[in-house]
Amino acid sequence: MTGRVALLGAGGFIGSRIVEMFHLGGLGDVRPIVRSVGALARLSRFDLECQVADALDQRSLQAALSDCDCVIHAIAGDPATIRNSVAPVYRAAQLAGVRRIVYLSSASVHGQAPPAGTDEESPVTPRQPLAYNGAKAWAERRLLKLREKGSVEVVILRPGIVTGPRSIWQTRFARDLLAGTACWLDDGRGICNSLYVDNLVHAIHLALAAPAIDGMAFLLGDEETVTWADLYGPVARALGFGSLDLPNVDYRPPPRNLRQLVRALEANRSARAIASLVPKRIRRGIFAAIEPLAPPGDSTWAVPNAQHAPSPVATLEMSLLYRCSWKLPDTRARQRLGYRPVVSFAEGCRRTIGWLEFAGFPVIQENQRSRAPSVPA
Amino acid sequence: MRRHGPRFRVALIGCGAVARLYYTPALRELESGGLLEVVALVDPVAAHSARLKEAFPKARSYPQIPGLPPDSIDLAIVASPHSLHAAQSIQLLQSGVSVLCEKPMATSAADARAMERAAGTGPGLLAVALVRRFFPATRSIREMLALRTLGEISSFEFSEGSESFAWPVASARYFDRREAQGGVLMDIGAHALDLMQWWLGSCVIVEYGDDAMGGIEANCLVRCQLENGVTGSLRLSRDCAMANRYTVRGSLGWLSWCTDTVDQFEFGLADTSEATVARPSGQAASSFEQAFLGQLRNVVAALRGTEELYVPASAGIAGSELIEQCYRQRSLMPLPWLDDREMARARELNDSLHAGVA
Repeated sequence: MTGRVALLGAGGFIGSRIVEMFHLGGLGDVRPIVRSVGALARLSRFDLECQVADALDQRSLQAALSDCDCVIHAIAGDPATIRNSVAPVYRAAQLAGVRRIVYLSSASVHGQAPPAGTDEESPVTPRQPLAYNGAKAWAERRLLKLREKGSVEVVILRPGIVTGPRSIWQTRFARDLLAGTACWLDDGRGICNSLYVDNLVHAIHLALAAPAIDGMAFLLGDEETVTWADLYGPVARALGFGSLDLPNVDYRPPPRNLRQLVRALEANRSARAIASLVPKRIRRGIFAAIEPLAPPGDSTWAVPNAQHAPSPVATLEMSLLYRCSWKLPDTRARQRLGYRPVVSFAEGCRRTIGWLEFAGFPVIQENQRSRAPSVPA
Repeated sequence: MRRHGPRFRVALIGCGAVARLYYTPALRELESGGLLEVVALVDPVAAHSARLKEAFPKARSYPQIPGLPPDSIDLAIVASPHSLHAAQSIQLLQSGVSVLCEKPMATSAADARAMERAAGTGPGLLAVALVRRFFPATRSIREMLALRTLGEISSFEFSEGSESFAWPVASARYFDRREAQGGVLMDIGAHALDLMQWWLGSCVIVEYGDDAMGGIEANCLVRCQLENGVTGSLRLSRDCAMANRYTVRGSLGWLSWCTDTVDQFEFGLADTSEATVARPSGQAASSFEQAFLGQLRNVVAALRGTEELYVPASAGIAGSELIEQCYRQRSLMPLPWLDDREMARARELNDSLHAGVA
């Protein structure tokens, strides 16, 4: 049993569910901490003693962490925020007398498509193709370094694809599907290393109190081996799409040589405007070079096409994720934390669809889902 | 109507976000047009009034209304926290000062009615700031519906919300139940319920659910019934991105207004989804800013006696009564991602709020 738990990043997707499970489910006494007053909007459903403190400001953090036994670091953000919040949080926790920090890292420190055999002992490097992965790996390393000289214990959790209510994965997919821009690779056969958010909160709760785990990292996942098609199928069906017949779209890297760069720029109207600032002599040379490459303007006789409908675009991250063929093991978490997923994948999908309906998505009731697939109004 | 010189003398009560972002540029514009002059800034936080003093260097700062010399003020704009609206407005009206009160007019219908009584017994006017009534789109919709262009109204669905709270509130008290007295319903709901009644006539609340669990609601769902028995819904959220559309359907057609547009809406024939975009012409306000200026101009014209108040106290009272009806019928919205234990506790916390209004 732990004392009061400070939750950094309480206004986010995972933070919101931590507050719900701790406060409503009786897991513990939680103090939500957010960066701005506006982030209290969702938390204000509860009569809790919330704090506003910037994770980059050690002094305000220290005050917010007073009387807390543990800190859950669930701050989301860009790579700079991920890196820059580590030291202020650790030092503030130390000055506030905190016993342990549970840091929410990510399984992506092993890359989006880790090789078979990857586990917590596999090497992790901050030099990664995706800045987010590199920042998380850097943050882990920095935290452990701070621990060497500090008194606050550090436990690192590496969740996979965190699913559930408010998860960007299912929400974005639902929006893309309705907008006609959903796509995937290899028909969604890749392993998505899913982790329903309640299972993550369960693991966090265990990590706050488990003995002799200082400095350790834990991979976390659902019980089931889940593919992307498994994850997205229930969402699609709930929205009235009978079958998931999505285009397979691979990532296209940005132009690398000068000719490709110029061609991309030429296709961009705002780039043309910027080009007007370039001295005329140089500009003439550039456009003389690219003019033959420019696509012809639309003829008035051209048959109208779906040019106004946005095309599916694959990001590098998604392209790598869809290629994953390894289910990351949570053996260590089971052995050292006593972790067992508390919500099955099917139940997690059911609850997430319930949330989609709550959030205004046009969910079709189960007994009416036999209708022909169409884009709901 | 009391007036000193050619310009109306204005006091800004509350120098927070709405005063800074909306009233300051609007009042400066009207000052430069010689219509009014901001003479007083009232806020207990000196830094808030000091920031606005840069825009109104001649204005004097006061921490509280009691320090304000009422004889030197013609119009007070009450833009303070919701829970202060009634007491401050009554105090000003009893001193003979006219009031433009931000929405929600009050946190209870009784307070709203007391404000109207205070206006009725003194020389001051009482206007309510429901700026959406000044949008060309909402006005045209009202006219269309009054002409029964859609035929017999059969249903309506209003939804509005965002997954992040963008309004730059300065204080966490905005989200404190004891101070705010309500959440998204009291805030955006004041606009939505006002438009609902303005467009469709008076209505009653048949069902209300929200997700307040000891605090204030971030989500709510209201089911309303019109006088002809037709029911419709209002879904508001500070948590989820909603469609942000107000749709009304009738026997002949439908119309739909997107809440982030001021000067257009869509309409179509019944049983078709093909939409025609309507852009009301011949009306001055083509942007939110112009609508906001229009609201202030109307109040000034009413003070002069050249126009009727476009949004009188009665509009604010009607909205406050509906909000109060909602909170009286409060139940917990379905929250299907909670487990049984969490749901039981959530229901317990939601039920406990019946002791108070919020």
